[in-house]
Amino acid sequence: MTVANPKHVLIIDDAALVRAYYRQALERAGYHVDEALNGLEAMEKVLLHSFDLLIVDVNMPQMDGVTFLLTLRDKELPLSAIPALVTSTEAGQQDIAAARAAGANYYVVKPLKQEALTELVGMLCGVAA
Amino acid sequence: MNEFIEQFLLEARELIEQATSDLLALEHQADDPEKIDGVFRAFHTLKGAAGIVDFEPMGRALHAVESILAGFRSRTNVISPTIINECLACLDQVTRWLDDMEASGEVPSGAGAAADAIVRRISGTAELDAPASPGRDWLARLRDQNPGQFSEARTALRYVPNPDAFFRSEDPLAMIEELPGLISIDLALSDPAQPFDTINPFTCAMEIFVLTNVDTETVIRIVGGASNQIELHALDTKPRADSATTLSSLGRSILEAQVLLLREPRQNGRAGRMAAAGSVSINVLRQAGLEAAAASVADALNDGNAISLIASIERALREKPGGVLSEIVDTSRPSSAAATRVLRVDTTRIDTLVNLTGELTVVKNALGHLATRAQAGLDAKGVAANLRDLQTQLDRLVGEVQRAVLRIRVLPMRQMFQRFPRPVREISASVGKLINFTVEGDDTEADKAIVESLFEPLLHVLRNAIDHGIEDAEERQATGKPSTATIVLRAFRQLDNVIVEIEDDGRGVDVARVREVAAARGLVAADTLARMTDAEIVDLIFVSGFSTAREVTDLSGRGVGMDAVRTVVERLGGRVSIDSRPNVGSVVRLTLPFTVMMTRLMTIESAGQVFGLPLDMVIETAIIPRDRIVSIGGAAAFAWRDKTVPLISLATSLGLGSRVSDAGQARVVITSAGGQLAAIEVERLGERMDVMLKPREGLLGGVKGVTGTTLLGDGRVLIVLDVQELFN
Repeated sequence: MTVANPKHVLIIDDAALVRAYYRQALERAGYHVDEALNGLEAMEKVLLHSFDLLIVDVNMPQMDGVTFLLTLRDKELPLSAIPALVTSTEAGQQDIAAARAAGANYYVVKPLKQEALTELVGMLCGVAA
Repeated sequence: MNEFIEQFLLEARELIEQATSDLLALEHQADDPEKIDGVFRAFHTLKGAAGIVDFEPMGRALHAVESILAGFRSRTNVISPTIINECLACLDQVTRWLDDMEASGEVPSGAGAAADAIVRRISGTAELDAPASPGRDWLARLRDQNPGQFSEARTALRYVPNPDAFFRSEDPLAMIEELPGLISIDLALSDPAQPFDTINPFTCAMEIFVLTNVDTETVIRIVGGASNQIELHALDTKPRADSATTLSSLGRSILEAQVLLLREPRQNGRAGRMAAAGSVSINVLRQAGLEAAAASVADALNDGNAISLIASIERALREKPGGVLSEIVDTSRPSSAAATRVLRVDTTRIDTLVNLTGELTVVKNALGHLATRAQAGLDAKGVAANLRDLQTQLDRLVGEVQRAVLRIRVLPMRQMFQRFPRPVREISASVGKLINFTVEGDDTEADKAIVESLFEPLLHVLRNAIDHGIEDAEERQATGKPSTATIVLRAFRQLDNVIVEIEDDGRGVDVARVREVAAARGLVAADTLARMTDAEIVDLIFVSGFSTAREVTDLSGRGVGMDAVRTVVERLGGRVSIDSRPNVGSVVRLTLPFTVMMTRLMTIESAGQVFGLPLDMVIETAIIPRDRIVSIGGAAAFAWRDKTVPLISLATSLGLGSRVSDAGQARVVITSAGGQLAAIEVERLGERMDVMLKPREGLLGGVKGVTGTTLLGDGRVLIVLDVQELFN
């Protein structure tokens, strides 16, 4: 069920396994997928390409997801307006609150099944399931 | 094997090693924030990885450890050796699971008990009252107490105030009473078994259970400050008549999150947040087919007014019902692929290969061009000159390709060395010796085969050093040594060799004792033994069947002696030696070839056939007058530099039919294998060459005395001899 889908998603996660897992799900659903290993690399990528959605991990070396989002939302429009889905293994309410304060549009607790991810990304990007 | 499991195994093992080395570093410096962070992140990432491959028990165990580590990070816990031990034990368990997965290709079933054991032990160590997610008993109790109230509630919470809450001017009950939509409040003693009269009235030893009909988000806003003492649980409620929409529950939840994001009081990044929340809301509404609502949100977004934007989203949330909740279908897992051995390679090394391939193509094209010109009648001289030119280029390129391919197989020693601190720590603890273990030159590179197969032999050498080499603390003090012994594991490159050394400052090898044992076991003839130097005696520890331990200890006396070490090292084409000085210490030195694939050979002609001999076994070539060769029993030997060297006849050992040479002198190649000298009589000595040695297989598989084969330039197969096997 590969539908032509011009949406471009950036996966920001330091775990190669997580990136591969997300990438496979999203590419099957027809998304363009790009990856970054941490917030710093992600920042470089969003400056160079335009994305419809960022999938952001919280615990990452060099620049964590929350710092990345804070930095991103402080940039000028439209760069600062890229929707962001935060995925983290932290389920604590203070973690969710911190991500939201940084500008996360939605927060899900890992592990996230591929089907659930595709559904969620579809909604956030406005792509018909 | 499922491709994710494969990737999981690879990643998990790296993480375990990282965590182990950081944990051991923490043992020395308990407050190194970088190491704490490293350990935490490794456990955290492992937990995430376990989730992806559906390995719930592993995730549970790691979660427990992670909670403890989170405490280190915020400095509320003290990193005691006990906790480090528990963390290491958890990693051991994970390693066992990984081994199972590697073998079966599946997530192990029945791992729950082991995981529970870890969780119990970990929480016992830390005395954590962390509201871990598994314990949802209180929810069930609340539901049983009053099912009616429970079904009305949207949020349940359990609040365990700090025991010293009263002294922090916190009033737990007052805070709870501020919650909107309260349905019920229950109080309980933290420890119901505690006799009432022993309760200290100044500590807050209670738990509060609350049901409310507001959502979790609202509750968090109010209890924010105390949220680390609160466990919240959103209850699945049926959609209310007034709030059901065509939105799926996920869509609703996303929209609610956007409202909260818009309400976020932070000033910085407000424009970005608003635009992001707006576009997400529009996407969700469009996706649900609510075009009108989407348009009204878009209008509000264009106006740039956060308040009207929030209003438009909240209106959409109250739209008329009609839809069906979308079900998440669990489709089949990805098809399993055959398991492959994975090697991580630096991309620059791959690029080098790609470039070289390009250059090879250029030469190939030039050859084609030359062939056409030769056909067209170019003079022989011109073709020859061109050919020579191309041959030179090819020569260089093939050499570089060879080196580049070998570079791919090269790994830093670190991958193996970092596994040692752990066992060394345990071994030294079990014998009660204080040891400062250091690693040097762990960035030295060597062939993958070497890096991967040296762990066991080196561990044995280390065990020996700790068990036999290092003295007890009292004995060390008596001889004026520091009570903490030093063991250094180091690697360095020396020309074409990689040297690995284990140096200790212990008592050295007990020469007299070795002599005694060698005599008692009849390892060496008594008269030979009497003539052997101390250094030669020490070398006897590498002889098979030798063990000097007076009593078999738990560690070294496992029947695997230093001869096993020698066997592994020699199989890799290396040598092992020991340099021991009484009361100063000893150095065990492993000299290994940089690559195991390329072998330097010397060709010899014997019994009318050409054979190869690994050059690193060859000590010398010599011409021995026949009258100096004496027969001892059925064999022949000669004296060479005060040593008796047995002479091997290839004709006899390989059953080639003997050819009696009548020359007055014999040409011999003197070789050393397994610490023993042996000479091979040859008719002619040939050239030296570097070859890719193919292991013996097929028909040659069972032939003794053959290491492998290689192809000669003229297409003939060259058999390479294994001198040690020939000798035995």
